[in-house]
Amino acid sequence: MSLKFSVPIFDVKNLSFSAGSQKILSHISLEIFRGEYIAIIGPNGGGKTTLIRMLLGLEKPNEGSVKIYGQPLAKFRAWHKIGYVPQRASLTDVNFPATVEDIVSMGRTSTKGVFQRFNAEDKAIVEDVMAKMDVANLRDKMVGKLSGGQRQRAMIARALASQPEILILDEPNTGVDMSSQQKFYSLLRRLNKEDGITIVFITHDVGVIADDIARLFTINQKATICNNPKQALSCEDMTALYGIEAHLVHNHKHGH
Amino acid sequence: MIEMFEYEFMQRAFLAGLIIASLASISGTFVVLRRYSMISETLAHSALVGVAVGVVAGYNPLWVAVGVALFSAWLMEYLRGQFAIYSDAILAILLSGALSLAIIIVSLGGAFNSSLFAYLFGSILSVSGDDLIMISLFGSIALALLLLFSRELYFIAYDEEVAKVSGIQVKWLNFLLVSVVAIIIALSIRVVGSLLIGALMVIPTVTALQFHKGFHQTMLISLGVALLSVVVGMILSFYFSLPSGATIVMCVIGCFIFSLVANKR
Repeated sequence: MSLKFSVPIFDVKNLSFSAGSQKILSHISLEIFRGEYIAIIGPNGGGKTTLIRMLLGLEKPNEGSVKIYGQPLAKFRAWHKIGYVPQRASLTDVNFPATVEDIVSMGRTSTKGVFQRFNAEDKAIVEDVMAKMDVANLRDKMVGKLSGGQRQRAMIARALASQPEILILDEPNTGVDMSSQQKFYSLLRRLNKEDGITIVFITHDVGVIADDIARLFTINQKATICNNPKQALSCEDMTALYGIEAHLVHNHKHGH
Repeated sequence: MIEMFEYEFMQRAFLAGLIIASLASISGTFVVLRRYSMISETLAHSALVGVAVGVVAGYNPLWVAVGVALFSAWLMEYLRGQFAIYSDAILAILLSGALSLAIIIVSLGGAFNSSLFAYLFGSILSVSGDDLIMISLFGSIALALLLLFSRELYFIAYDEEVAKVSGIQVKWLNFLLVSVVAIIIALSIRVVGSLLIGALMVIPTVTALQFHKGFHQTMLISLGVALLSVVVGMILSFYFSLPSGATIVMCVIGCFIFSLVANKR
């Protein structure tokens, strides 16, 4: 793969993390390249979210290093290149005074200097990402009154507003109904294929993985990297990963 | 009603009241959204230490209060960072500690008198020309800083971690916010008193939140509620000889109850 010769967006080496005496992650090494479409799966408490948080500098590893675009994490400044949608994005405080447009506009904040106001270009970008995520008609709606699927799209629009090169989503489907989920996956695929945005997401939706994903990281304290998830995801693998007997059901509605 | 403006002290009182209402309500929007309501209470009590030192040592209490409130704000942010899980307990310790220290300083200095009372409960009618200049000067700086970083502070209030990942200097801006709030509180205690300033900061925003509007509209409603309460409160206080700070706060609470009833339907 020619990708392998370019500088990875994330270069993780030998990352370990413990909470007290409990080992959460042990010696994780992985690379994420530009243009990839990657899913992360694993049991609850297996360390998926912790891994993402360490990639973003929200947790400090006990051991190992993270480089972003070839730079050590502490020196990295171009954070607008990275869009992050956390797990709890679907659990917003219902009373927070923000319309969808307010939320999406937040995504432009870090691209502006202190004395720079939002200009026509910022407004155009906000319009563009709202249209792309199908929330333009909800612009004046309070964020606390959105459905799970609408809120999730608004959060992704916020992440896209900084025009990131990579989008990292932590269980974006929490609290979203099935029909919204299917639309959601095709949307993610479109962002990856048409806009060239690198996509990394944590999911429990194993069916979609087998059909869609280019690479799969399974995280359960240690990382296993599958370069061909369709073949790799056997029931035995899932049983090994989750520690209980698993049955893999392919959901062909997700296919393209 | 015109007659109350014939007195120079009433003109000063009104002007000071309107400036403080604007400062308290605009900063209060960030305080409430950031869930810093207890922080404003703690800073108000810390500012009392400055007042006590000023009263006993013969300096302008407002100047000393601004300095002490700023120091407390920084100490508080530092300690909250060190003891993240018990950050509310840190506030309780600082609040009671500051109040006790203020009482001891005043007691040792033999200054338990009406002038201290004025800082506890507010005495808008005793605002001097110098006080007004100071309130305007520091108030403008505080307000300018708030508005300059309003976008960032709003983002942090919505989701601190996402703001951090997007490259916003969260730690620095948290320090800025508590510093600005400390200055505004220290300036306000002359008008509404340290025991009541928290109310003028928090209740207008909580009232505005009942209307479920976007950020700018919420801030404007909060400002409107605070200004209205100060005007009505001062008129009532003038004509019925009521204490100004307490009357203003009762007016804000009246607005809050109205917002609850109006939005119940």
